[in-house]
Amino acid sequence: MKNIHEIRDPIHVFIRLDSDERKVLDSHPFQRLRHIHQLAMTYLAYPGATHKRFEHSLGVMELASRVFDVVTNLDNVTDEIRDLLKPLKAPDQIAYWRRVIRMAALCHDIGHLPFSHAAEQELLPEGWDHEKLTREIIRSDEMKTIWDSVTPPLRHEDIEKLAVGPKKATDLEFTDWETILAEIIVGDAFGVDRMDYLLRDSHHIGVAYGKFDHYRLIDTLRILPPAQLGENGEYQEPALGVEEGGIQSAEALMLARYFMYSQVYFHPVRRIYDIHLLDFLKKWLDHGFFATDLESHLRLTDNEITAALWKAAFEENEKGHTHARRIIRREHFKTLYQWNPNDVSINRDSGESVFKALKAEFGAEHFRHDRYLQKSGAPDFPVRMRDSRIVSSLAFSQALSNLPVVSVDYVFADRSCIDEVSKWLDENRDTIIQPEKEE
Amino acid sequence: MDRMRTAALLTRLMEELRNNESWCGETHVQKVAFFAQELTGIPMNFDFILYKHGPFSFDLRDEITSLRADGLVKLETQWLYGPRLLPTERSQYVQGLYPKTLKKYEKKIEFVTQWLGDKGVVDLERIGTAFYISKCENKKVSVDERATRLTALKPHISREDALKAVQTVDEIVAQVQNQTP
Repeated sequence: MKNIHEIRDPIHVFIRLDSDERKVLDSHPFQRLRHIHQLAMTYLAYPGATHKRFEHSLGVMELASRVFDVVTNLDNVTDEIRDLLKPLKAPDQIAYWRRVIRMAALCHDIGHLPFSHAAEQELLPEGWDHEKLTREIIRSDEMKTIWDSVTPPLRHEDIEKLAVGPKKATDLEFTDWETILAEIIVGDAFGVDRMDYLLRDSHHIGVAYGKFDHYRLIDTLRILPPAQLGENGEYQEPALGVEEGGIQSAEALMLARYFMYSQVYFHPVRRIYDIHLLDFLKKWLDHGFFATDLESHLRLTDNEITAALWKAAFEENEKGHTHARRIIRREHFKTLYQWNPNDVSINRDSGESVFKALKAEFGAEHFRHDRYLQKSGAPDFPVRMRDSRIVSSLAFSQALSNLPVVSVDYVFADRSCIDEVSKWLDENRDTIIQPEKEE
Repeated sequence: MDRMRTAALLTRLMEELRNNESWCGETHVQKVAFFAQELTGIPMNFDFILYKHGPFSFDLRDEITSLRADGLVKLETQWLYGPRLLPTERSQYVQGLYPKTLKKYEKKIEFVTQWLGDKGVVDLERIGTAFYISKCENKKVSVDERATRLTALKPHISREDALKAVQTVDEIVAQVQNQTP
């Protein structure tokens, strides 16, 4: 019987899985990802964006093990790091965690709602998000059977930790080792989730912004001590960093992220379709929320939602008709106001102020507000220079220290009244955006 | 607390840290904000977990990024080390909008920044983690047990340093309980 299975992939050429990983691939939760668009309704703005979470998850597994193999290669690890991270000294531990990181990478998106990220906070009961659903699926009976069948058996908690990371598994304690492994998948700087989606999204959409030399970058990744040692030179927690020779590839990754966010992910047409979809789902779903029991969750994909949208768009009595029509007939709201440095220097929440004033003047039904703040810090990671000194990436690279932050603050208006509203906003903008001062 | 008031408080906290000789990198701001919120009770509503270098808030990290996007804070780099956070002139305008809020929390900000301002990241990690462990325990747990827990979580911290950190935290908590700063 064949033990290694090969899958063709447009980004990584071949992705190879063993028979245990194939069981995950064949499981119901993973097969469902064939029907979840990676970029929600972005295909309405960029027609090529029809790829799914399924192939992205395979890509993340491929990249996670490439990074794991590089950073745990003993030729790439210093004695100090080996002393701090004990699994590096134990080949059986390395073998165990390699299996865990590949399984975790495969499963990292398994809990996504239909159409991926579209406003899950508003469509799930309080305390739920797709990462919590991911964890529930990883510890479900179907998946536990797979983890138990591996030799040695894999602990589902370990897979959960690496799949969602410390931010989303606050009830679990992470060792330094586990934190670094989670960083390989979901980390801000070098997380392979991001590496794969930048490469894959830019490939499918047909834009070059997301491409960078990931071969060189991965080859130069290392587990390093931070740049700022203690006052007496003490070691602190290690982190994922890069050799000096990889800094340009790291810069390219961060720039790719900046351009993809500003040009694709925050494209106003993409954002407003997400909002119209949210409006539709609030009407269409029972009680306005997705179910969180796994059976219901796993039954629902983009296909059922798309069918419902089509039906509702053409039948006035259907729930969510108005919102469905806006999507299907391309009658989406248009951008009326957007973030700009002048207004934000007066009021950080200028979009919110504009939105409130418009609702009060013309009625809430004509407007939608979309605010998004970048969910990561400055790209600060250790760089090992050729003379072995460790330096902060932000001290070493002007490209990184001057990288702009992406900020989105849109107000959208119904196209039927946009001319009248625009005129009113032009006349009142300066007054509207003034913040209230405490006396 | 709304974003404008949070910006006023955070930029004031950074200014005070710098006035007290702090490097004022993100790690410093994370730990001092943790004490400002959890020890002195400034209601900034950040969720802290035990992460890199001790207590860490992803919300606060995002907020610092947002302050940079809005031109209220900038990064000041220095060779070898991570960047310092520098409130810009524009932050004075935001602080000027909220004199009552700043007055209300002024003494608390002074207290934490004077106590922690001269501490480096290693010290901040030790006492921040010690305080996090102490806060998480529902019952009275001995200094010894908490130090054991600290070294288990942070193996690069020595037992001697862990004991000192827990004792420091107990002293400062007693001080705050006896006299509201």
